[in-house]
Amino acid sequence: MRPDERDLDEEIRGHLALSVKERIERGEDPETARLAALREFGYVPAIRDSMRRVWYARWLDAAAALWQDLRIGLRSLLRAKGLAATIVVTLALGIGANAAIFSVVRGVLLRPLVNRDEDRLIYIRQSAPGLGADNINFSVPELSDFKARAKTITAFGDFSTVEFTLIGLGTEPRVIKAGVVGGSYFDVMGLRPVLGRLLNAQDDGPKAAGAAVLTYRFWTAALNSDPTVIGRTIRLGPRNATVVGVLEPSVPYPADTEIIANVVTSPHHLGATMVTNRTHRMTELFGRLAPGTSLDAARAELTAIHAAMVKEHPEGYLPTAHVQVTATLLRDQIASPARTILLVLLAAAAVVFVIACSNVANLILARSVRREGELAVRAALGAGQGALRRTLLAESLVLCGAGAVLGVLLARPFLAMVTRYAARFSIRALDVTVDASVLWVGAGLAMAAAVLLAFVPRLPSPHASAGLGLTSGSLRITPGTNRRLRAFATTQIALSFVLLAGAAMLLTALVSLQTAETGYDMRHVLAFDIPPSATGVAGPSAVDFYQEATRRIRQLPGVEAVAVGSFVPWRDAGLFGPGVSFAVEGYTRAEGEGDPTARVRLIAPGLFDVLGMRRLSGRDFTDDDGAEAEPVTIVSQSVAQRLFPNGDALNRHMWWTDPYFGSVPVHRRIVGVVADVDDESVRREAAMTIYMPVRQVGFGGRLFVRASGDPYALVPAVTRAIRAIAPEQAVERAATLEDVRAAVLSPERVNAFVFSGFAGIALLIAVVGVAGVLAFSVSARTREFGVRLAVGSAPRQLLARVLSEGLVIAVVGIVVGAAGGYALARLAAKVFFAVPLPGVLPVAGASAVLIVAAVVASLIPAARASHVDVMQALRSE
Amino acid sequence: MPKTPDDARLELLQGTLDMLILRTLQWGPQHGHGIGQAIRTQSDELLKVETGSLYPALHRLEKRGWLKAEWAVSEANQRAKYYRLTAAGKAQLSREQDRWSQLVHAIGRIMNPTPASEE
Repeated sequence: MRPDERDLDEEIRGHLALSVKERIERGEDPETARLAALREFGYVPAIRDSMRRVWYARWLDAAAALWQDLRIGLRSLLRAKGLAATIVVTLALGIGANAAIFSVVRGVLLRPLVNRDEDRLIYIRQSAPGLGADNINFSVPELSDFKARAKTITAFGDFSTVEFTLIGLGTEPRVIKAGVVGGSYFDVMGLRPVLGRLLNAQDDGPKAAGAAVLTYRFWTAALNSDPTVIGRTIRLGPRNATVVGVLEPSVPYPADTEIIANVVTSPHHLGATMVTNRTHRMTELFGRLAPGTSLDAARAELTAIHAAMVKEHPEGYLPTAHVQVTATLLRDQIASPARTILLVLLAAAAVVFVIACSNVANLILARSVRREGELAVRAALGAGQGALRRTLLAESLVLCGAGAVLGVLLARPFLAMVTRYAARFSIRALDVTVDASVLWVGAGLAMAAAVLLAFVPRLPSPHASAGLGLTSGSLRITPGTNRRLRAFATTQIALSFVLLAGAAMLLTALVSLQTAETGYDMRHVLAFDIPPSATGVAGPSAVDFYQEATRRIRQLPGVEAVAVGSFVPWRDAGLFGPGVSFAVEGYTRAEGEGDPTARVRLIAPGLFDVLGMRRLSGRDFTDDDGAEAEPVTIVSQSVAQRLFPNGDALNRHMWWTDPYFGSVPVHRRIVGVVADVDDESVRREAAMTIYMPVRQVGFGGRLFVRASGDPYALVPAVTRAIRAIAPEQAVERAATLEDVRAAVLSPERVNAFVFSGFAGIALLIAVVGVAGVLAFSVSARTREFGVRLAVGSAPRQLLARVLSEGLVIAVVGIVVGAAGGYALARLAAKVFFAVPLPGVLPVAGASAVLIVAAVVASLIPAARASHVDVMQALRSE
Repeated sequence: MPKTPDDARLELLQGTLDMLILRTLQWGPQHGHGIGQAIRTQSDELLKVETGSLYPALHRLEKRGWLKAEWAVSEANQRAKYYRLTAAGKAQLSREQDRWSQLVHAIGRIMNPTPASEE
């Protein structure tokens, strides 16, 4: 058994104590005895060390030898500063990128939530794949059914998102997103307050006093963590509420709200429609798994309950909608939008790392060939294979260690970039920080690289004659080494190709989205949100307000036209849910076909002209299409073409068949047809849309202003004009359609940007790799070129020869990359998710970039080859 | 007790310390200090073992499996590490003793050639 440090100390202490005792017994006084014993014993640390050496001799020797090797390695690398720097920077890029991405993956996908017992907290969703709607929420009657019947779930929490005009915190009336929750919500979520209290069962129901909890982010960011906010009364639309507490920092889901209030604050939640209408779905549902129940059991039970509900209330579930219920752990639900993109990023980072390693391997291989003489001398002097490997290992450790240190330093700014990017997909990315795990990843990658690199070079074989290497000391490149160098360079090109093609694919998609014809006048139209002053308030007063506001704004200088609408293209995507079913006179649906569905948009007269949409036939709405007048509607081209193939849509009638619009259908006469636009998705698809006049519905909420000059210059004047009529009206999010679209496209842009970044790094490394291989190959063949020149080769021929070598590497790399990338995509499609394959243009573009890069990289070595001094080359041996 | 001046002491021959330690432990377990004292007294104060060589030697012998160490409380009521001869250690002792006798015999014959042995 190996004694440990304490053992050794105690043994020495025991010895001294015995020695002192003995001397005292002999009559010496204690002080002299102690000193004498110590003097007799000798220098304690040295003796202890000599004891330790007995046990740890081999380790200590090895460490000393490695230390020696490290020092030699460092010194020999300092002589090759350029090479060392290239290697360190290359590795640092690879390690830094990987460490950063890994931190984000860990923080977003793997870290548990702060919620109590978060592994039992589930999220339940109702979707209608038949309508293409992946979340249709739940209605109050549905929630009651689940509560009454479910046994695998102990408690349900409900949450719906509404917009309130908030007055009382801050200076301006502001429209905020708020959650409206039942009394069980916070208990189910398992969250705690950092200040005050959260909402509980006493806050539930229509009789409770209005109460609101602030989210941590809102409290810290907007209110400077002001503790006096507790107990303050705020106005939420028409109702009052008292701030009762501040929620602990937690992941906001499904919506990032600023406050969370009880149902009494939302008149809409207390109305009959909300409480009794089975199809009035606006609640998100959370649940706590009962102890000992698995998620699968809960899923099965929820599905069974749902099936029974559908059977009991067939009117609430359109058969073609295929309404269904799913349940997931909340943690997975939150991570899911980010999962794909993070895994792709992780793969890209890994590819960059492999490229970096293979490039470094190349450089080291080339260097070791130059050092073959030195290694041969050392072998001849008796250094064993192990000792030589250790020398190489020490050198690559120095390189990779430096690379890792720099990489971890780089990881911090990388991480800042990646988190900002990943936050678009998962809010959790925002609190990812560089932690110890980055260091471990960095160190691990560096060690892996170091060991790998130490085994790349071939050692001088003890059996082969070392004579050549020893005597001539000049460079000899063996075909084997050359092949290996080329293989590494080809690998780099192949992997770079995969990344480049991916980046090119994203870029072309982005460009086509950005330059797509939208059907709108993007540049001159300014959109505002002017939300109703409280949820659900609409009607004649709103119409009057719109009328007066547009009248005043129209008179402002610089305003060409103005109109109220209900939906800002792209920004309001999803606001009105999926399409609504309707019927038209003269169209009988085919057997088994459901009613057609269309998007509903409410518009004021003149909006088409403000937005620059083409009107195809009939007329626009006018101010005469009021509440008392004949109900009218305008349809989009695709509605007219599909339901009235003979082109006689005008003056026919349509009516909504969705129960949301009431049981007695209002027949509306079609008075106009407009061109199709797609205001939900930036990928333009023909969208059946039906427009109704704001004046007949009493709801708008969006304002569109067409400017003759700079649109943004109008913002203060428009705001003032509106506030002059309604001082508490919020006027928000002014933006031109162009900017709205740019904002909506920003994830695509960032995707393309990040990927291009990776591809750029890869390309850079690959160019260095190809240039390095060719430069090495040229300098090793100086003599060959000399001979060629001597026997009459033209310098141009040599130039072409080296260039063609570079081209061969590039072409082989591209072919291998294309084949490998295709195989990888197929594999990924099987294991994770479908990966779109790039089209011809991106592939051709990526190939062209790589070939040009290879030619450029070959130019310098090629030029050197063609300028070889014949005499010197021939004399060089 | 008369003290032997340091220069009157004998230097241990290379390689003999191990044997002396094994020999000392033949009469039972002993701690490091005790072993050092025993060698000194038994050699009439002529041999003095430096702690700097004694302890590494003890650990070397323990590592080779010739000694076994365990903690115990000494007669002077002090916790100390006691070394005990193992079976392998006993075998080693007899081997070393044989080698030592041969060595003494061989060196003796060179240093003090007796006419009788000259044939």
